Amino acid sequence: MAVYTPEKPLTAAEITGPGAWWCSGCGDFGVTAAFKDVLVTLVNELGVPLERVFVMSGIGCSSKEPEMLRLNAYHGQHGRSIPVAMGVALANPNLVVVDFGGDGDSYAIGMEHFVHACIKNVNMTLIVMNNQVYGLTRGQASPTGHLGLKTSSTPEGKKVRPVNPLKLAIAAGAAFVGRGVSWKKKELAELMLRAIQTKGFSLLDVFSPCVTYHREPGYRGSGAIVDWYRLNYVLDIQEAWREMRDQVFSEEERAHLPSDYDPTSPDAALYALRLIEEAAKMGREVTGLLLVNESAPTLEEALGVSPERAPALADISVEGNLERYRKLLAELR
Amino acid sequence: MRSIQVCGAGRAGDGTNTNISMLGQVLKDLGAWAFVWREEVYSNIQTRDTAFGLRAADVPVYGPDDEFDILEAFDQGAFVDWTGEGRVPPLARLRKGGIVLYDSSPRLEYPNAGHEVRPEQVEAELKAREARLFGLPMGRMAKEQFGNYIVRGTIALGVLAHMLGLPEEAFARRFVRIFGEGSDLFRLNLEAFRAGLEYARAEGWELPDLRLPLTPREDDERQLLLGNEAVALGSIVAGCRFYAGYPITPASEVLEYMAEKLPSVGGVVVQADSEMAAAHHVIGGSVAGARAMTATSGPGFSLMQEAISAAGMTETPVVIVVSQRGGPATGLPTKVGQEDLNETVFGGHGDFARIVLAPTEPEDAFYMMEKAFNLADRYQCPVFVIYDQMFAQSTYTTPPLNPSRFTIDRGKVVAAPANGHNGRYRRYALTEDGISPRAFPGMPGIHTIYVNTNEHTEEGYITEEMVVRKAMVEKRVVKRMQLIVRDRDLPSPVVHGPADAPIGFIGYGSVYGPVLEAVQRLAEKGQKAKFMALRTIWPFPGREVRRFVDSCRVVYVVEYSATAQLKGLVQREATGPMPRKLRSVLRYDGRPMTPGYVLQSL
Repeated sequence: MAVYTPEKPLTAAEITGPGAWWCSGCGDFGVTAAFKDVLVTLVNELGVPLERVFVMSGIGCSSKEPEMLRLNAYHGQHGRSIPVAMGVALANPNLVVVDFGGDGDSYAIGMEHFVHACIKNVNMTLIVMNNQVYGLTRGQASPTGHLGLKTSSTPEGKKVRPVNPLKLAIAAGAAFVGRGVSWKKKELAELMLRAIQTKGFSLLDVFSPCVTYHREPGYRGSGAIVDWYRLNYVLDIQEAWREMRDQVFSEEERAHLPSDYDPTSPDAALYALRLIEEAAKMGREVTGLLLVNESAPTLEEALGVSPERAPALADISVEGNLERYRKLLAELR
Repeated sequence: MRSIQVCGAGRAGDGTNTNISMLGQVLKDLGAWAFVWREEVYSNIQTRDTAFGLRAADVPVYGPDDEFDILEAFDQGAFVDWTGEGRVPPLARLRKGGIVLYDSSPRLEYPNAGHEVRPEQVEAELKAREARLFGLPMGRMAKEQFGNYIVRGTIALGVLAHMLGLPEEAFARRFVRIFGEGSDLFRLNLEAFRAGLEYARAEGWELPDLRLPLTPREDDERQLLLGNEAVALGSIVAGCRFYAGYPITPASEVLEYMAEKLPSVGGVVVQADSEMAAAHHVIGGSVAGARAMTATSGPGFSLMQEAISAAGMTETPVVIVVSQRGGPATGLPTKVGQEDLNETVFGGHGDFARIVLAPTEPEDAFYMMEKAFNLADRYQCPVFVIYDQMFAQSTYTTPPLNPSRFTIDRGKVVAAPANGHNGRYRRYALTEDGISPRAFPGMPGIHTIYVNTNEHTEEGYITEEMVVRKAMVEKRVVKRMQLIVRDRDLPSPVVHGPADAPIGFIGYGSVYGPVLEAVQRLAEKGQKAKFMALRTIWPFPGREVRRFVDSCRVVYVVEYSATAQLKGLVQREATGPMPRKLRSVLRYDGRPMTPGYVLQSL
């Protein structure tokens, strides 16, 4: 039953919630705007019924995402949105499950679930609004905070090395690994759509700067932190591919490399890991679409559930199952 | 009642479980009510002392008796505490004049070499018990005739079959079911069985005094199943289609049964990366619309507390099975305890509605799962089913179980709007009874199901406004518990024994059988006693318990907890302190309660 038609398309206003949670200039606004665009595309152009979209979140500024929307959603506890999302996805594979996490949420307290979701390859998308700090608790350093980052919990600068979620996701076998930036809405929306459309577990890490608590020397004032990211921190994967090939690849390898980085190449995982490592030497973090690989079975496929065979929609009437139940009972005599 | 009790004692890896279980199956097939329990099992796969117990009777039995009639000794551990750690070997429970069937050959294989059975080491004790000794070289026979040491247990079954007059066909039928008709294993076991039988016949070993009068039933549809299996089976019939769990003793059999069977009825089982994940998977499955459950024990249950709180706040129906073992921490992984009652009744942070059910035995558990899932859906709250290792991992014979007795009540669920999108669904709509109709994602036209662990408005959006907060707490907890208390589906306590009995017992879980028999034994001695088995722990049946206590001169609360957690609940919810009247029978050494244990504690 198509509710939204070309005559009456879904508009972003209809899926906008009452939320007012973020500081002015927060990167999370960019993520939200991009996601609404993606939803409108999904519903109006790709025929996904709006009621089949299910949004998740945990705790942190990022987790206010469902507050900003008007959608079927579960707003969970710190780090636990991923296992709840997995339950939703497995119980009803007809749903499009998109989980919004933060860097503390997904890469600290929820790390166990994050890695296992990659390994199990559950068909869902995790969008992590990564800002290097715990914004909601007033700016302590997060697991992605770079070495030397000064925050209220790292007064002398962060001395513990950061986690690299992209490397982890690649190593753990995620089907989609990418990184967007909140200030480039169009590119971010493209990455989101691709992540959602990828069969299996998708990690889309998004640099979504905290304008209030993320401070860098020499970058003061509104919007300055975005400049810091742009000028000092990010490196597009295509650019890395072009500019770092001499350092990263041997002459023999270079002879066979295509001119553009291809995230669907069977070698994408290894190439991406090498580029991430090389970029890190310069203090840079790679952005863009790193990997799409749908070859591994999803958790749903492995466990025998599908849109047609959704446990949440199974017949549970006693009459409809009586013969099967009697058989189970007979086995235990 | 006439019953016979057998102990198979060896070391892990000796096959005592198989030996005792098969004997139990055969006795059940011949008409008896069999009960098999783990008398002694370490958290270990090979080498530690192991003993399984079997009780077979002409009436249903729900627990072990104090003494063994027959002790099968596959290892010296049956007789002595060889590690010197203070263990009480099974021989200490052999009745006067009891039978000892032992392996008279050397121990031949790792890991058990060097633990030959040497009755001469315990000669005085055997003599004092007037034990009747039967030694046969099972190990040598197994090795030399069959080239397979593990069939020692099957040889012993042959001996017992002859001694007790049990027909070979009954064993052969079970071998077919277990090993497959005509398979190599089938032939091997049948031949080993016959070797034992022939040996006993040649020696003229007969035990007419131990034969139970058995009459096989026509169309015997009684079940023989573990407590955990009864719970899993009952859950499937109750419509559970989503199971997430993490392996833990003594709850793993629920996961294993579900993994094997749930897909065949359109369900899914996911082995989670921890109990924390498992409980959250279950919340997700339930939010998506499936009837969802998990089962765990102490350490895993602690990990689930966060999710339990979330289920309470989000008003998500979940069923959580708590199969208790001795604690705290890792505690006694394979042994019985009832130390997690407080955590079940009071665990999870914050105030929320919950229901705690406690089955007495597997038949009760099977039907109770219908109530558990219906109550969870009706009140949109976590429902716990609590029991303990003795219930979970003992095999009981139950009357035929009837799935047709189940009805499915999903509680309040909205109908999808006829004309598609309305955007007006409110997950936490304030209604008169405080229960908001559920909707499931994917229902055509409903896209505003917002489930929130933060305090929320009717629409599910975060709020910290005091008026809304107060209304939500009242809806979620206060009104909800008032409704639940009145629900007739809450299993009521069962009372056994004469109403005017001055001695009372209260208990839950696997103390059911031992206390029941303790009451019967008191009656045989002319002492009137009665027993109230609790089947709903929360909301606590305060009025019934108060009345029961008032009608007694003295009441013993029987439980596996050093701090008397159940007695504490009785006092808190029903009676007040009553220090002279309310007493405890406690066991916290990890060993199963017996009628004699209960009586000697009075």
